[in-house]
Amino acid sequence: MSTDTRTDMTAHTTIEERPPVFSVDGLWKVFGPKAETVPADPELTSLPPAELRERTGCTAAVRDVSFDVRKGEVFVVMGLSGSGKSTLVRCLTRLIEPTAGTIAIEGEDVRAMDRTRLRELRRHRAAMVFQHFGLLPHRTVVDNVAYGLEIQGVGKSERRDRAQEVVEKVGLEGMEQRRPSELSGGQRQRVGLARALAVDPEVLLFDEPFSALDPLIRRDMQEEVVRLHQEEGRTMVFITHDLSEALKLGDRIALMRDGEVVQLGTPEEIVGSPADDYVREFVRDVPREQVMTVRRAMRPGECAGPGHPGAIEAGAVVADAIQVVSRSHRPACVVEDGRCLGVVDHERLLDVVAGTELRKEAV
Amino acid sequence: MATVTAPAARVFLPGILRHRAAAKLALLALAAAVLVPLADARWSSGSWPAALTVDLTQPLGRVSDWIIDNRDSHPLFLYGFGYVSNAVVLSVRAVYLVLLAAGWAGVTAVAGLVAWRVAGVRLGLGAAAAFVACGLLGMWIPTMQTLALMVVAVLVSVAVGAVLGLAAGLSDRMDRVLRPVLDTMQVLPAFAYLLPVVLVFGIGVPAAVLATVVYAAPPMARLTSLGLRGADKEVLEAVESLGATSRQRLLTARIPLARKELLLGLNQTIMMALSMAVIASVIGAGGLGDRVYQALASVDVGAALAAGIPIVLLAVVLDRVTGAAGDGEGDPAGGRTGLSRRAGWAYALATAVAVALVGRFAGRLDWPGSWTLNIAEPVNRAVDWMTDHLYSGVPVIGGTADWAGHFTTWVLDPLRDGLQALPWWSVLLIVAALAWVIGTWRTALTAVLAMAAIGVLGVWRPSLDTLSQVLAAVAVTLVLGFATGVAAARSDRFERLLRPVLDVFQTMPQFVYLIPVVALFGVGRAPAVAAAVVYALPAVVRITTQGLRQVDPAALESARSLGASSGQQIRQVQLPLARPALLLALNQGVVLVLAVVIIGGLVGGGALGYDVVFGLAQGDLATGLVAGAAIVCLGLMLDRVTQPTERRAEKGA
Repeated sequence: MSTDTRTDMTAHTTIEERPPVFSVDGLWKVFGPKAETVPADPELTSLPPAELRERTGCTAAVRDVSFDVRKGEVFVVMGLSGSGKSTLVRCLTRLIEPTAGTIAIEGEDVRAMDRTRLRELRRHRAAMVFQHFGLLPHRTVVDNVAYGLEIQGVGKSERRDRAQEVVEKVGLEGMEQRRPSELSGGQRQRVGLARALAVDPEVLLFDEPFSALDPLIRRDMQEEVVRLHQEEGRTMVFITHDLSEALKLGDRIALMRDGEVVQLGTPEEIVGSPADDYVREFVRDVPREQVMTVRRAMRPGECAGPGHPGAIEAGAVVADAIQVVSRSHRPACVVEDGRCLGVVDHERLLDVVAGTELRKEAV
Repeated sequence: MATVTAPAARVFLPGILRHRAAAKLALLALAAAVLVPLADARWSSGSWPAALTVDLTQPLGRVSDWIIDNRDSHPLFLYGFGYVSNAVVLSVRAVYLVLLAAGWAGVTAVAGLVAWRVAGVRLGLGAAAAFVACGLLGMWIPTMQTLALMVVAVLVSVAVGAVLGLAAGLSDRMDRVLRPVLDTMQVLPAFAYLLPVVLVFGIGVPAAVLATVVYAAPPMARLTSLGLRGADKEVLEAVESLGATSRQRLLTARIPLARKELLLGLNQTIMMALSMAVIASVIGAGGLGDRVYQALASVDVGAALAAGIPIVLLAVVLDRVTGAAGDGEGDPAGGRTGLSRRAGWAYALATAVAVALVGRFAGRLDWPGSWTLNIAEPVNRAVDWMTDHLYSGVPVIGGTADWAGHFTTWVLDPLRDGLQALPWWSVLLIVAALAWVIGTWRTALTAVLAMAAIGVLGVWRPSLDTLSQVLAAVAVTLVLGFATGVAAARSDRFERLLRPVLDVFQTMPQFVYLIPVVALFGVGRAPAVAAAVVYALPAVVRITTQGLRQVDPAALESARSLGASSGQQIRQVQLPLARPALLLALNQGVVLVLAVVIIGGLVGGGALGYDVVFGLAQGDLATGLVAGAAIVCLGLMLDRVTQPTERRAEKGA
């Protein structure tokens, strides 16, 4: 297993020490005639998308993408439609065959797998949840959930039992014998989620699973995913075009544009230090106090006094600190493992809300 | 000819002639100006020049003779077609014997109970009643003969169709090969299939079954392929993402997802098989169709009706039951009551067996002779009365025979003579112009080639005779069909009244339409045209109504908000927007009319249909085959001429 020395500034320091589940390096997916020549030709790879299409008739849906998905994290790939995010997630299990680059799952080269091995990967190691659910309309809920196990050749009674467990886990008890057409959108996606969970995969892949749902249902489902992740700690790759969803669910976010990853980092990094104007424009309307942590807002090295008045955890978001500080009318201490790291006051917190803290640091 | 230059011409013409149709016509006129004097000088005008015909009668006659001489000795027949022929005869015989062994009570019980399980109580009772009616009419044995032939033909059709459909659904290359063939087979009149099978198998049950299979398998193949290709892409991707093998994907996802199309294919195959099984009486199918055929030959309307009613009842029952099976998918009770479903089938089976056994031990296997109702005599008396009172001399309105006579003298004769008097090249030009304006240069080229092939075959004059009947029938059909369609689209109540009538009329086999027209108009070309009109009308009405109703309501609303009168709404909004549907109605109308006009050869329609019947009756297969080929060409030409570009695009998707 490869050890990655890149220092990702993740909120949970433990994640970066974990081994990667998926390692993607220099991945390309080009659609069009003679697609395989594009990634190999440095002259072509440097072209902007429109010119590339004019020159070769090819479209590069994924351009030279590299990242690691670490065990137990929720890795969000976010971008607008046409940014290549759905193509990217399909390349991971070769539902779409990549054009160039490497993909490894726990060190094993996915692109080198033969059919049997690839089928094993899809059956046991990575399961996917789809935007429009992809349920079999002629099967009941429980049979849809058990479908993955049926494909694997698990006996009828065993797969029914296991499916039943998962059905209960996603809150669909009592609907086992219904058909997908009799369910609401949210319930259908619960079936989709249950079907993926039933095969007990190492990684769950979500392809914009909630974008076809109403806003309220979507929020329920997001909370469901958060709950499942807390309970099971399963690795998840989550594709979305919704920034608030990405910030809510993601441990790390890869932001894509025109097939390229323009920034990869924690929600706080993306919002707090956008890599370029595109990202800045993207995150402009984000309620920063909900994303930025106190660690970033504090004045390091100071202490408001013995007993650490206020005492806020370093990982707490700024919105929580605002409550404490505005109630006590005095600066609050930021603590971690019982140590005081610094203080936050009105000024620092307001700077975060207004998005002016970076400029001040630069001065 | 002219059409080949089209792509180059498009580049500069739009600038000069803004209207595309005008541009096409101008280009065609230009080509005609060059080519016509040449053709005229070389071959002369008037009917198709003799120098350009190829006489196929002699070689075809030799082939036919050779086949007849060698049918019992040549290995090709002994070990190839002979086996096929024997297998067909044996299986039809076996099914027939099983049906007889079950007795009338058993068959009726099975039909009713199967219909009950598949489609509910009402259809169950209806199916049982239909079989009882067949018995009451004294048609039990012919019904069983037709049914036995149908069972074998449908089984083979479904198997062949499903295999072809699977191939076309799973392989793009097969699809590209099969699709145009199946599309074309769909538009050919049933009569065109009869002679080639007779040539190989001779007149008899094997030929009838195989003609039926060839006619009925294409819809199954088309719909299987359509269903497999139409499956939700994301579902298939989901199945693949779970690591299914391609076999698992086919069995657990693609085929179940195509269930609706498969059952619709089954429905269409059964309906077409019934239609053909009846028509195939002219090549020895026996059964109900044969009774109708014999009765029509002696203009015995009563006997024809007695055999025709069971055909209609069979058609309606088979259509409704298989149709209900296709609609039953959304049935929420399906999954939950799985056990009681199975129990229901068990009860049905047990009851059927019990009824059959009771019938057997009661010694009442055959339909009791005393229970039959002889309708032939009263019907014939009614027909005689009609002949005496309604045929002619009714004050003011004349009579049905007068109408038919007038229609023949004033419409059919001038039209036929006019067409036959046209110079041959002008017919080709008209075909090219129509096909190109409505469709593309490809369809125009096919149409012109098909028309020219008719000339080459040496059946120019009879083909134009058939064509004149088709044109007259299509004109009447369209006038009536569009008027009824517009009325139905505007009035919900009228549509509700019309729908069940259309449903029944659309399920009836072509053959039975000949019975009432013979009763009303006697024999001749006019009755053939009348039968064609009645046969094609329901489809035209239905497509027109649907097309008009599907016009964007927003467009209609905006027209109304601007104060358009209902006449203006129809003329300026509904008809232009429904143009694709109207063209489709035209296309369907032409195809359906042709099918029946050809069959009209049996009731004095003459022309190509008569040549086929004559060829069969006299054993002169060469004449029949040439006429059959001309029918194929005529069908191809008429379909392509009326084929709007939209239909191609739709099918390509």
